[in-house]
Amino acid sequence: MNRTAIAIWMVVAGFSLQFFAYFRWAAPLGAPTSPAFSDPRIPYAPAAFIFGVMLVFLSAVVYELQGGGEGESDG
Amino acid sequence: MNEKKRLPFGMGRLGTKWWVLVGVSLTLVTRGIIAYSQQASEGEVVTGMRDIGPMGGAAWGLYIVFVVYFVGISFTGICLASLIRLLNLKVLRPIVRPAEVMTVIALILGALAILADVGQPGRAFLMLLKYARPQSPFFGTFAMVISGYLFGSLVYLYLHGRPDAAVLAKRPGLLQRFHRWWAAGYGDTPPERARRVRSSFWLSVALLPLLITATSTLGFVFGLQGGRPGWFGSLQAPGFVVMAGLSGVGVLILIAAGLRQALGEKERLNLELFRWLADFLLVLLAGYLYFLVVEWLTNSYAAGPSESLVSQAILAGENAWIFWGSVAFLTLPAFLLLLQRLRGRVSLPLIVACGVMVNLAAIAKRFLIVVPSQTHGMLLPYSTGSYTPSLVEWEIVIGLVGLGGLLFALFVKGFPILELDRDYLGGTK
Repeated sequence: MNRTAIAIWMVVAGFSLQFFAYFRWAAPLGAPTSPAFSDPRIPYAPAAFIFGVMLVFLSAVVYELQGGGEGESDG
Repeated sequence: MNEKKRLPFGMGRLGTKWWVLVGVSLTLVTRGIIAYSQQASEGEVVTGMRDIGPMGGAAWGLYIVFVVYFVGISFTGICLASLIRLLNLKVLRPIVRPAEVMTVIALILGALAILADVGQPGRAFLMLLKYARPQSPFFGTFAMVISGYLFGSLVYLYLHGRPDAAVLAKRPGLLQRFHRWWAAGYGDTPPERARRVRSSFWLSVALLPLLITATSTLGFVFGLQGGRPGWFGSLQAPGFVVMAGLSGVGVLILIAAGLRQALGEKERLNLELFRWLADFLLVLLAGYLYFLVVEWLTNSYAAGPSESLVSQAILAGENAWIFWGSVAFLTLPAFLLLLQRLRGRVSLPLIVACGVMVNLAAIAKRFLIVVPSQTHGMLLPYSTGSYTPSLVEWEIVIGLVGLGGLLFALFVKGFPILELDRDYLGGTK
């Protein structure tokens, strides 16, 4: 897989993680009518969200560094 | 011949002034660590903070004031760096790296200020990762700003530093291994350059909205609290963004002036660059003064009883000297910078003085946003409270400022604080 594909994959994965962590795994949105609105539906959902943000930025490093070296083709 | 050439910008050479800066910074950091150990062992009772209401205090004090202040500074650094690169503002190009470094350091300090505020940092950190609500402004501020924003800024600084690191990695010396690691095989080939331009563009595009969102979220922490008179309002978020710009440009002016003096870089850090920064400051000052007047008019014209009590405490009560002092430190620089603009002159001492004044005003305004709303205008039947920061709090906060100075001093000696010229050491950057 070339660097561009890996970087795009990481960006998509990062945003997907953020989306799922925000809307599906964290405590549900809405009026807090029961304790279910207090805790995340999956533990460490906030950590997944943060990891998603980091993954997006990390894609830039992978894009520049993956394969490294002089004379590397621009995939 | 080139091999014998000195490292640029005073790198690797530890002069007297540098040692003085490091000595002072280390002293402040040590005092801060001692103060923090006292707080950690005896509890937050050693601070001036107390519960709101029954204990007549403020639960957020100096630490949160400086969280907001540090995050504000960081906002401007990376924002300016991104805009300079996106819009190719050549005059401001020399301050790109100092701005990036300022952002990273300010975010580290902001994170440490949060840890100083919570009684059990380890527990808070774990709970944040496990139970926080990503939808909450608190999460946005204390997790996303520090993690996403700090991480993004580090990536930005790292990638943009690679060409300079590659040039320096060719030089034998103590720092060669470090520069080789940073360069990570960068060879300055046309495809690498093209990739750098592309990644730089997309990083800037990704960072700018994140910056605005993150800083606005910090404003929402206060602005969305309907039960706290003085905080609830739609102007908090834009006000935070503009004030962040003000304090950041102010600090950047001080850093640029310090580097110009210390490195003798009068050509690169020229007066034209300072004129641009002064103009930025003037525009932001005009914007913030407008917000200030609008906020004051709204609060004094149609505020409820609780809001009136908070306004009274700020305008004529125990916090009045802080408020009017901040107003003076905002209007005076605006007047002086406008006068300078009309005369068509550039005075560096005047611009530096304005940078100092707006930062003092920024800290004062942060204090007025955070504290009076907790001690005055209670909606429940509690009497008016008070908050005075203790010596421990001051020592910790000043220790953080010292840490910032120390990190900056160390960076300057290990990596070029200004981007290298294309022809440095025969490189083709």
